[in-house]
Amino acid sequence: MFRKVKRRVDGRRNFDGDISKGFVDDLTRYPHRLSFYRMPPLEEITLEEFETWAIDRLKVLLEIESCQSRGKSFKEMSSIVLPILDKLLPLNPPSKESSSLYQERKKDHYSHFILRLAFCRSEELRSRFVKAETALFRIRYQLLSLQEQREFVDSIDLPWEEVSDEERDRFRDQLLRCSYGSIRSALMQTVEYQRTQHVTDEQISGYMDTVKFYRLPFEYVPELVSTRQTFLHKGYAYVGEFQRLSLIATEFSNFLVQQLQATMRALPTLDEDDRLVPVLNNLSKGYVSIDYNGYGGGEDSEGENSSGINAENISQFVSDMPLCMQRLMEGLQMNHHLRYGGRQELSLFLKGIGLNAEEALKFWQQQFTAAGPGSMTMEKFNKEYRYNFRHSYGLEGGHIRYKPWDCRTILSKPAPNKSEFHGCPYRDLRRGELSFQLQKLGLVDDTRLGEVLDLSEKGEYQTACTKVFELVNRDKIDSCLKQGLKVDESSIVHPNQYFDRSRYLDQHAEIERAGG
Amino acid sequence: MDSSTSEGVVESTSTVPPASAPAPAPAPAATPYKPSSADFANYYENFMPYKSIFLWLNHSQAPQEDFTKREFAFEYKSGAYQRYNSFSNVQEFKNTIVKAQPVRFEVGAVYPIEPKLRKSVSKNLMKPVMKEFVLDIDLTDYDDVRTCCSGTSICRKCWKFITLAIKIVDAALREDFGFEKLIWVFSGRRGVHCWVSDYRVRILDEPRRRAIVEYLDVLNVKSKGNKNGISLRKPYHPHVERSFEILRDEFVDIILREQDPWRLDDRYQDLAKCIPDYRLSSALLKHWKEDPGSSSASKWRDVDTFYQNMKVKSFDIQDWKREMIFKTMYPRLDVEVSRQMIHLLKSPFCIHPGTGNVCVPFDPSVKEFDPFTEAPSLSTLFNEDETNWENTSLKGSIELFNRYVDGLVKDEVKEKREREPVSEESW
Ligand code: SF4
Ligand SMILES: [Zn+2]
Repeated sequence: MFRKVKRRVDGRRNFDGDISKGFVDDLTRYPHRLSFYRMPPLEEITLEEFETWAIDRLKVLLEIESCQSRGKSFKEMSSIVLPILDKLLPLNPPSKESSSLYQERKKDHYSHFILRLAFCRSEELRSRFVKAETALFRIRYQLLSLQEQREFVDSIDLPWEEVSDEERDRFRDQLLRCSYGSIRSALMQTVEYQRTQHVTDEQISGYMDTVKFYRLPFEYVPELVSTRQTFLHKGYAYVGEFQRLSLIATEFSNFLVQQLQATMRALPTLDEDDRLVPVLNNLSKGYVSIDYNGYGGGEDSEGENSSGINAENISQFVSDMPLCMQRLMEGLQMNHHLRYGGRQELSLFLKGIGLNAEEALKFWQQQFTAAGPGSMTMEKFNKEYRYNFRHSYGLEGGHIRYKPWDCRTILSKPAPNKSEFHGCPYRDLRRGELSFQLQKLGLVDDTRLGEVLDLSEKGEYQTACTKVFELVNRDKIDSCLKQGLKVDESSIVHPNQYFDRSRYLDQHAEIERAGG
Repeated sequence: MDSSTSEGVVESTSTVPPASAPAPAPAPAATPYKPSSADFANYYENFMPYKSIFLWLNHSQAPQEDFTKREFAFEYKSGAYQRYNSFSNVQEFKNTIVKAQPVRFEVGAVYPIEPKLRKSVSKNLMKPVMKEFVLDIDLTDYDDVRTCCSGTSICRKCWKFITLAIKIVDAALREDFGFEKLIWVFSGRRGVHCWVSDYRVRILDEPRRRAIVEYLDVLNVKSKGNKNGISLRKPYHPHVERSFEILRDEFVDIILREQDPWRLDDRYQDLAKCIPDYRLSSALLKHWKEDPGSSSASKWRDVDTFYQNMKVKSFDIQDWKREMIFKTMYPRLDVEVSRQMIHLLKSPFCIHPGTGNVCVPFDPSVKEFDPFTEAPSLSTLFNEDETNWENTSLKGSIELFNRYVDGLVKDEVKEKREREPVSEESW
């Protein structure tokens, strides 16, 4: 069980390598798609690459974290993360032309190491990073062809021995007991199963004879031990071929834990390159702003009203809005006024959902001047507010097109005081109040409600919001999935994204709407 | 932490007469006895086998880090609890205890520096680096199936749960994990501890300790949400299957005859709740309400009869019965005690302050342990001889421990020679 692998300690001067040697497009540096990231990068990259590569990877990891917090299964997580991975951090199969493969692998390699620097600095950051990276590793392992998997596994040095035939016979019953479930699910993927819809014990037993088993000290497979998915005998775990992912994933995460600690110890010496420090600090803060460009009205939102949303019917769309916007709408209706922060947050959002400038003005005017407490005269409105609202649409002043705020922007502004409604309710409301608001949205199941409240308390506001979206729209999502439609289940990062998703479901789900 | 109560190991009378069980063997006369300070003083001076405990924790004749950087905690009569004691040799170990006179002392992990010096270094250096793997099994965790006793009292009937637990856990630790250096210790009142000293397990980190204890914890005691069913995967894992073989023949005697838990008004409802089919369980409840006092055996048969008559299809009754056997008799483990490296556990040969019993080690492979005859109390010992343990009933236990420790130290020296050359580069 003792390996004499000399592992390089990364750290100092990782990023100013020796370019004269150059590894230009050399795939021998990255023989496999997947990597244990044993060797630190040596080539020089630009500060811009440094930052964008790291941010791209961070986005992927944050999505993974969000899936984990929402209790998604591994399978669900894969299907949510894959499209994002494809876009931001692709690793294409070996058939592609090698220079683009080299670039992909290089980006993967470097971005991993940059984030190590950003995430090595506290126990909490380290464990988050390891958890998300390990999940990413597992997702990617499943993408490899069998051939690639085998090659990759062979390249890792682990103390496994193949179980001899004699031992196989001796422990046949025990091995079968431990692999029954896995083999069964493997057989359920087959064509045979599609036809017969059942798996017999003979099939399982027959299949088992074709599987290779390995034995290694039980310490290497704690996950398989704790769930009793492996046969243990005299300190050895007997692991089937199909369980090797679990094994190497554990190895991967152990290795990463060690490496992060080494990086942390080496970190002070990094200060020499102080351009990096602010970048790293920002990265480890954890939110990235993700541009969300999909919102309704888009470019011509100040012109024709294509979305069909206007000052009159807007209240019908309140239930499609995330809680932050629902609160603003409610506050506005109650007080016939909104303070500055709230006005900005809401008006840009409304612009984003396709309320054009003219309708927006009408809407605000109606709200501010309608009879009730806090209302004002038309004159006052025209004098003091008209300009502001036109400004948001870029119709006044510097003619700047303001973008609707994403969650990160909302979360970076000062929190609201008692008489204000802006901000993110998952952060700004006390537990009791938030729970009340959620029940108004229709969340009545105590356990689910508790989960959302707990997420908010842990500071995972967007995840809480995403979870609420899923709970509120459960039936519609199921209906769409049943029809084979695509449903985006990635984390909510933008209020307009929430709205658009909700509209999409409204339009596609086949649900009998209760009259009323 | 049960020093506040003072009931002894007494045979309590069960609240309900057993249906048809043979009369239990008469237990020794119960003498509620509480040791005095003078008793403690004499015991610490003349009886406590410091040298053996030192060797057991040190794994070598000459003091080394395994002992000198080891944490000990003292609990005093006043209830005060003092952590981070450490000693450089047997003499200091003995002197300190004789002088401090704790009501008991506990053994913890080995740290990178002597725990008594911890204030001189930064906090994150004080992370445990080594510890025995320990298990704690206590009868109070069986109160939902015990009817013979409750709380701190025990009797021969309920001790059977512990005997079964030892069989099951011991087999798994030896057969499955391949551990060889393990010793069982009576906790002084109503449970047992197991200490595993194999080098391989001493260096394990917490996730791996957790893996072992979760492997053993078939009932998943921590997940309270899962109270009514355990739903074991089929076919059973070899460890589960082996445990089932050990338990199944005892079920009729221990649960249905002796404990007879479902004869009691408030507990037959528990049985009904365990039945995964709502129709069936309501029908049974209704039936039992009419005759609540019927025996557990008859209620057990009712489940079968009703299941057949109502043609229930929603679950398999044979599986359910098997799971009930686990649910009522499978060892209940304290997962946290085993997982946490910083956790301390009472040392062998301490005195249980509530009962005056010595926490003696024992070897279940030689003979099943009987707490009523094999755990002498201080008063018994001192009646036998005031100062010389060799003339008392503690002799057997000390000798057994010495033999065990002897083997441990010898093998350790041998293994150390083998592992030393590569140890720097290992993980
Ligand atoms: S997470 Fe974003 S969309 Fe959701 S309520 Fe908070 S700010 Fe609004
Ligand atoms: Zn009892």
